[in-house]
Amino acid sequence: MRIRSPLVPAVTIAVGFVVLLGYFFPSLLVQNLRALLIDWGVSLAGVAALVGILNLVVVHWHKANDKENRSLYSLLLLAAFLITFGVGLWLSPADPGFQHVIIAIQVPVETSLMAVLAITLAYASLRLLQRRKGTMGTVFVVSALFFLLFLSGFLPVVRQIPLVGGVADFLHRLPVAGARGILLGIAAGSLMTGLRIFLGADRPYNG
Amino acid sequence: MQQDFLWTLIGFLLTLLVFSYLLGDHFLFRLVASLFVGVAAGYAAVLLIYQVILPRLIYPFGEGGALAILRAIVPLVLGLLMLTKLFPRFSRLGNLSMGYLVGVGAAVLIGGAVIGTLSGQLRASAAGFDLHRAALAGRSPVGALVEAVIFLFGTISALLYFQFSVRSKNNPQAARPPLLEAIASIGKVFIAVTLGAIFAGVFAAALAALIDRLDFITEFIFMLVF
Repeated sequence: MRIRSPLVPAVTIAVGFVVLLGYFFPSLLVQNLRALLIDWGVSLAGVAALVGILNLVVVHWHKANDKENRSLYSLLLLAAFLITFGVGLWLSPADPGFQHVIIAIQVPVETSLMAVLAITLAYASLRLLQRRKGTMGTVFVVSALFFLLFLSGFLPVVRQIPLVGGVADFLHRLPVAGARGILLGIAAGSLMTGLRIFLGADRPYNG
Repeated sequence: MQQDFLWTLIGFLLTLLVFSYLLGDHFLFRLVASLFVGVAAGYAAVLLIYQVILPRLIYPFGEGGALAILRAIVPLVLGLLMLTKLFPRFSRLGNLSMGYLVGVGAAVLIGGAVIGTLSGQLRASAAGFDLHRAALAGRSPVGALVEAVIFLFGTISALLYFQFSVRSKNNPQAARPPLLEAIASIGKVFIAVTLGAIFAGVFAAALAALIDRLDFITEFIFMLVF
């Protein structure tokens, strides 16, 4: 049986406890300590994100160097990364030329991906209507069509009609009920996940 | 002028390459996806170095006083330990940094969930029953009350839909009690309405992007031809 060091769970629980205390106790000492711990956490999150990017590079480096199945895509990804990284380090991200090049590549690709999403979503909703003809599928599609009509500027016109306007307003607000239930569910789930970490039941840091 | 044309041409080609996905997931789309991920990762790495790592972990040692150095030394050590996660043989050394990050993250998660979501949403649900405010807004108090009751029921039923745990004692099929099942099935309708509205919002945004790209393509072709 492998015995794990209690140091890491102890640090996790202690740090989390102090940060959590800061939410509920307005003492200056606790607030300052909490701000310092979160500040360190932000710095560490930056390093963690960099580690994630470096890991992506390492994975693609191995794929590009695989003698049996060399990946051209990985090679292109590495080239794009190294050029952007090198030029960015040299010029700094605030340089207008660097910004211009990044925007010239990122904006068309991001907008086009979003545009492709429109077609994919329309196709997927049509398939949903064809394959899942149940109540929920119908409610979903009717709701989607209804709100698309609203988003197209239909609501202000309908609002003018005496009785229909009130009903349309109510239907426009109706998704709030479900959204509130979903948000409360997410919050309850987050609370449980956080408490499990504090109690040491979940230890996602042991790798 | 020539440089502007070059970048517009690159934007045009990238747009066409992404649109080629509509013909299937193939070589051209994967090329542009790899290019995009590479550029985005490189840009993110540069931003992290210039905006987080240098000012928070490195500059205090050169420019800051003793207090700034003391404040920077702990995250620097933890950051160096975090870097060991890149090397499988030494990755266990990074557990302490991960533990710290998870502790802060869990506390912020709990605080955000309790103060931001639970308290905020419960208060918003209760606010619907404020008939005085409804009257001031020019709404009928009875209508506002009916709406608040429907919304509260929708919220509770949607929340109950996510309750999947059941008592196993004397319940071999592990089914929810009939009343709970009935309320949860109504909650499912509220969730479907909400997801439909979200879908419509995302679709409208995506449609705007599609119109923008089609406009860009036609304008560029017109610019080339005329």
